[in-house]
Amino acid sequence: MLMGAAAQAGMDKVILQVTGEITGSAVELDRQTLDALPQVTLETSTVVTDGTHSFTGFLVRDLLERLDAKGELVIATALNDYVVEIPMADFYDFEVIVAYGMDGEPLPRNDKGPLWIVYPRDDYEVLQDIRYDYRWVWQLSHLEVQ
Amino acid sequence: MIRFRNLAFGLLLPLVAVVVFAVLLAFSLVRMIEIENAMRVEAEENMLWVLHQSEVAARRLAETAALIDLGEADTDDLALRFDILKGRVAMLNDGPQRRFVEEIGYDDELEQIAASLNAVAPIIAGFSPGDGVRLRAALEPVPRLFGRAANKAMIADWNDLGGRLETHRAQLRQITVFLVGIMVAGGILAAILGGALRQSRQRNMMLRRSQDFSTLLISSSGEGILAVDRVGLCTLWNKAMVGLIGKSAEQVVGRPLIEIAGFFDLAPLRTGVARALDGDTWQLALQPLFGEKDAEPRYVDLRFFPMRNEGEVIGAILFLHDATDRHAAQQREAEDRDRLEDLVAERTRDLDDALRRERSAADLYRNFAAMVSHQFRTPLAVADSALQRLIRRGARAEPGEIVERADRARNAIAGLTRLVDSTLDAARLDAGQLGAQRVRCALEEIVRTVCTRRREAAPERAIHVRRASQDSDVVFCDPAHVEQILENLLSNAHKYAPPETPVSIYLHDDVQNVFCDVHNTGNPIPEAERERIFDRNYRGTNSMGTAGTGIGLFMARTLARMQGGEVILQPGREGVTFRMILPRFDAVPA
Repeated sequence: MLMGAAAQAGMDKVILQVTGEITGSAVELDRQTLDALPQVTLETSTVVTDGTHSFTGFLVRDLLERLDAKGELVIATALNDYVVEIPMADFYDFEVIVAYGMDGEPLPRNDKGPLWIVYPRDDYEVLQDIRYDYRWVWQLSHLEVQ
Repeated sequence: MIRFRNLAFGLLLPLVAVVVFAVLLAFSLVRMIEIENAMRVEAEENMLWVLHQSEVAARRLAETAALIDLGEADTDDLALRFDILKGRVAMLNDGPQRRFVEEIGYDDELEQIAASLNAVAPIIAGFSPGDGVRLRAALEPVPRLFGRAANKAMIADWNDLGGRLETHRAQLRQITVFLVGIMVAGGILAAILGGALRQSRQRNMMLRRSQDFSTLLISSSGEGILAVDRVGLCTLWNKAMVGLIGKSAEQVVGRPLIEIAGFFDLAPLRTGVARALDGDTWQLALQPLFGEKDAEPRYVDLRFFPMRNEGEVIGAILFLHDATDRHAAQQREAEDRDRLEDLVAERTRDLDDALRRERSAADLYRNFAAMVSHQFRTPLAVADSALQRLIRRGARAEPGEIVERADRARNAIAGLTRLVDSTLDAARLDAGQLGAQRVRCALEEIVRTVCTRRREAAPERAIHVRRASQDSDVVFCDPAHVEQILENLLSNAHKYAPPETPVSIYLHDDVQNVFCDVHNTGNPIPEAERERIFDRNYRGTNSMGTAGTGIGLFMARTLARMQGGEVILQPGREGVTFRMILPRFDAVPA
């Protein structure tokens, strides 16, 4: 379904590329396709902002399951070529989302948008650690499943 | 002083050590929590990286502008690079990052950069070839500003890190000191604990030793020892108790005392136990303790003591001492005393008898004198008067008269002779010179001989003789003695019976003996005198005024007994009957 949506919305701007051990080895996803995934809201604080914020987006595991992803690792890349390796387990142990909105507003590309990997930092004490903080990839553009 | 030192060591020192231990531990904990909190390195600390990335983003934006001029990039790339840079700046203006920038004094520069970006935004939106130079000139100070900010951030970071490390070191030094203090306090506590343990072990050992000693004493004691608890259940039962009661410790421990043996259910025992449980000491002496059926009872002394623990009575202890030997000794002593008393009484009786005999001997002499004066004088007077008459008559005397007078004199002399004989017989009897010559005799013949003689001496007195059967009078006796006995009995009858009444003799027998009853009609002999009349020199109350020596019956009985016979006074109120008993000849073993 996602594939179809991506193909149909060929004119729309692709905002996320997924490659690696998934169905069809590479997919390009636009905003509309991502909107089709079940929407999740997450309330948490971040290390780069003050106070708590409400993030809306989809669960990473929902996307990975749709794409039939098989692997141990997800390599996330940002627009500025920032690259981190995220263990696949993170997405199943915690409700990690890819947020496309914050406090009811869409995330603009010139401010951490359009996509931002957000961990439920306030819900799990273990996540309040710098080894998780660097996995919060903002201006996310590419996921590679390994 | 020692007490105070004990108190200081026993209580104060450990208390102080514990307080020091706790305080130092609390301080250490506080310090460590402080360090732990300081260790939480926040992402905001990583400003060097953020500024460096911002510088890179600025340089890449300028680079992309140049590439467009060369035709190697398009406006989309330029827009992306511009957005990325704007995103960086937006981030630097956000919360913690903004505060850091202000801290290092670069907020003005950041405003300057933001203003520059706002200024170039229209150029980027409507980029046309040739704008590149303008754009680069406008962006020219931005990377430099980011670079200088990064320098400053690095210096601030390192200064901060240095300060933090210094603080940590100081805190760690403090913690080390605290730990040393904790170790010292712990060491003191451990030493005190060790001392207390050793002391307690020593006390336990001493207690065990004294316990072992007590157990040894109790088990090896010859006395029976048992203990009961507050409700009367047996808690201790030593070996001697097993011997006394016959039940083993396994059979009795834990059971009520009164169920163990009937002995403990006796009222004095129950009282003793109850009193000991009330806190009193109590004892019982020579309590009989019955064991096996029909066996002799043992006798035990009991002592009851209360057992106390810190003043409170927690039970009672009983000591049973086997006093059977003592009891037996007491019994023997009592028996000996009784025997001794009997002996003394017997001796007293003997002495009394001797005294009485002595008195009777004195009486004998007195009586003898009286008898001599009376009995001897009468026949002598009779003989003298007969002879005087003969002398006075002289030649006138007729031959018949002479014979008659001479016979009277002779008879008187003969009586006198008999009197002397009997007196001598008694003396011989006393001297043991009188023996019995026992032969086969026909008793009736002897009776008839004696009767004939008596009739001659006293013709006025009738004597009737009869016998039960014809052939049963053969006796084994000394005829002279039997004659003497009969003489005595007949003379007594003559003396005490009224003159006109007859004396009857009745001979009869049984398997063993032949009896000769001599009966007269005189006054019956009072009951109190019936046995005493056989005593030597005893004269009954009804013999007053009658001549006699008090020897006749004594002689008669003594002579009869010498021949295995007897003389008794027959009971009855009709007159007086003496019975002579002699053994039948055929009844005497050869």
